[in-house]
Amino acid sequence: MTPLTPPPIDYAAVAPLLIVLGAACVSVLVEAFLPRHQRWPAQVALSVVAIVVAGVTLGVYAGDAPAQGVITLGSTMAVDMPTLFLWGTLLVLGFGSLLLIADRSVEPGGAFVASALERASAGAAPGSTTGPSGVDPEHVDRSYGAPGDAPTMQTEVFPFTLFALGGMMAFVAANDLLTMFVALEVLSLPLYLMCGLARRRRLLSQEAAVKYFLLGAFASAFFLYGVALLYGYAGSVRLSAIAEAAVGTDRSDALLFGGLALLIVGLLFKGSVGPFHTWTPDVYQGAPTPATAFMAACTKVAAFGAIARVLYVAFGSTRWEWRGVLWAVAIASMVIGAVLGLTQTDLKRMIAYSSIAHAGFLLLGTMAITQAGTSGTLFYLLAYGFTTIAVFGIISLVRTADGEATHLSQWAGLAKRSPLLAGVMTFLLLALAGIPLTSGFTAKFAVFSAALSDGMAPLVVVALVASAIAAFFYLRVVVLMYFSETPADGPTVSVPGAFTTVAITLGVVVTLLLGVAPTLVLDWAGAGGFTG
Amino acid sequence: MSPTNYLLLSGLLFTIGAVGVLVRRNAIVVFMCIELMLNAVNLSLVTFARINGTLDGQVMAFFVMVVAAAEVVVGLAIIMSIFRTRRSSSVDDANLLKY
Amino acid sequence: MLDPYLALLFMALLAGAFALFSVTAAPYIGPRRYNRAKLDSYECGIEPSPKPVVGTGRMPVAYYLTAMLFILFDIELVFLYPYAVAADSLGLFGLVAVTVYIATIGFVYFYEWRRGGLEWD
Repeated sequence: MTPLTPPPIDYAAVAPLLIVLGAACVSVLVEAFLPRHQRWPAQVALSVVAIVVAGVTLGVYAGDAPAQGVITLGSTMAVDMPTLFLWGTLLVLGFGSLLLIADRSVEPGGAFVASALERASAGAAPGSTTGPSGVDPEHVDRSYGAPGDAPTMQTEVFPFTLFALGGMMAFVAANDLLTMFVALEVLSLPLYLMCGLARRRRLLSQEAAVKYFLLGAFASAFFLYGVALLYGYAGSVRLSAIAEAAVGTDRSDALLFGGLALLIVGLLFKGSVGPFHTWTPDVYQGAPTPATAFMAACTKVAAFGAIARVLYVAFGSTRWEWRGVLWAVAIASMVIGAVLGLTQTDLKRMIAYSSIAHAGFLLLGTMAITQAGTSGTLFYLLAYGFTTIAVFGIISLVRTADGEATHLSQWAGLAKRSPLLAGVMTFLLLALAGIPLTSGFTAKFAVFSAALSDGMAPLVVVALVASAIAAFFYLRVVVLMYFSETPADGPTVSVPGAFTTVAITLGVVVTLLLGVAPTLVLDWAGAGGFTG
Repeated sequence: MSPTNYLLLSGLLFTIGAVGVLVRRNAIVVFMCIELMLNAVNLSLVTFARINGTLDGQVMAFFVMVVAAAEVVVGLAIIMSIFRTRRSSSVDDANLLKY
Repeated sequence: MLDPYLALLFMALLAGAFALFSVTAAPYIGPRRYNRAKLDSYECGIEPSPKPVVGTGRMPVAYYLTAMLFILFDIELVFLYPYAVAADSLGLFGLVAVTVYIATIGFVYFYEWRRGGLEWD
């Protein structure tokens, strides 16, 4: 037989991805072979080192990377400037979320549930009430493990985080739709599981996991059918091959646009855009808060990185045909997020609706198939991710005896009790609303001006109105914190441990820096376009 | 027989699966409907591979199968864990999270 | 020539010998612990009685766990068949790739084994 020439691999370019996925494999082995009490420190050290090393490798490579990017691994990965920027974004946001996940001081033992073995032994202990039919999970499923022991957590969340992070990195770099699909699943499956691991409110958390899983699998089936149709159209799933096939051809447009529609539904679902958002509030509320932070920040980056690449590389030439539909989607997303956000009484749900509105704004940037649109989207993702992580970090600090106090009424008068926390939260909410001197303003400005220059003026008007409506519900929280009477049985503000402090500080500092001096990062984001 | 018929069948199966997801109430059945959708995709991938005369579609079907298996395991584990705490796998009973 | 068929014949002989060996060796080296479950009509899985499964009955969780593990490890084989067919032309690169693939699955297997996923009770 004729020997096959192996595809050339540019190891330097894909090194960050390999490091993260390799560390994920090692951390599975750590889970397998280390005794229980050593797992948490080992996993934290391993994950932090892996992310830092991957970041340094990325920085070294990005220093003298070719401006037009490289396509490697048999044309399945495109490591171009947007990819490098998104990888950097994912790594720093992943680092921030990892700190929140690893924290064990706010909630004794961490926000994630103890391992099943300990819970089972605690459930069988005398004194626990198990009715014959009405099984009360709070009693059987003792959330802190065996009584008397120091609380532990399920350290599997660390390999989950690393695998999800690796999947996201592969997702934004994928140069063909099959790689994109596999990466989509690699990032989704750990996230489904992380949702169901909350220590408190087990049923709520498990319910969120089931919903996220069923809807996520439904969406990825749509994505896949889109891939099949596009393969039928172009005879290849490479993004550039689809673009070539679409130019001057007599092939059936039904396959091309049917495929695009199904594909984009799957991607918009992941980005929690518009009418495909139904999972978002439930999952944000039910999942353990650190996992929510990870999901909200990093999944958004991954999803919109992929949407931008697909639209830019594969469908840039046919943009006049599909843009009308996406206009409707963007408007729906902004309106749904802003209006339904007004009616929320739970803080985590409110942030979820805010993320839906933000997804609409982001879609504006991705629809503008221009250099400015790409760089605006990239900048927006970085800014939004940091603010979100800090917001969820703050939410995890305000607690009552039975867990986090996420109901809005519980936040009344919080400024009197903890001025610092209320001040930081106010700053972050203003950033989400897009007030000048915060990263939110710079990001919105970049995206809206890109959309405006690409002929989407009516959409920008809608976006501005939606921003104004959304600003109202952010300000409502601020007013509640500063100008309301403190309820008698109000929540307490925990003193954050080192990890949470670092994560929140990181988020706040970056939010401020990107608002005051965004030039450097804007330059990075605009360093080059997608290659296909 | 024209390969187009397979595409029609695949579209039909995909639709049946999608409708099933929307109307059925048992998490396991919903899940089976999703699997039906994935397998409908496999059918069209293989058919397109035949129409286009390239092998890529068949290879993709392998990947879809493997990913679907991983998804099955994760999904069943999640459904099992909720079943063990609440003794029901109906998606209607999962109603703690609301607007 | 007969060459390709010869390999097939060896394969068949090997398979037959392995089956014969397993069946004859099992009674001698396997442990024998009879219990009620062994005498049931289905040795594993849901008990075939009219007992209600939901409500008062218990779920045989171990059965589902094993089934899920089986699905996972079984389906990964799908990539080994194409490799086996094309192993010659893929050369060293293919060998390294498939080794990495198997090692990755091996990690998961170690996890499974160390955390007691392979124990029935």
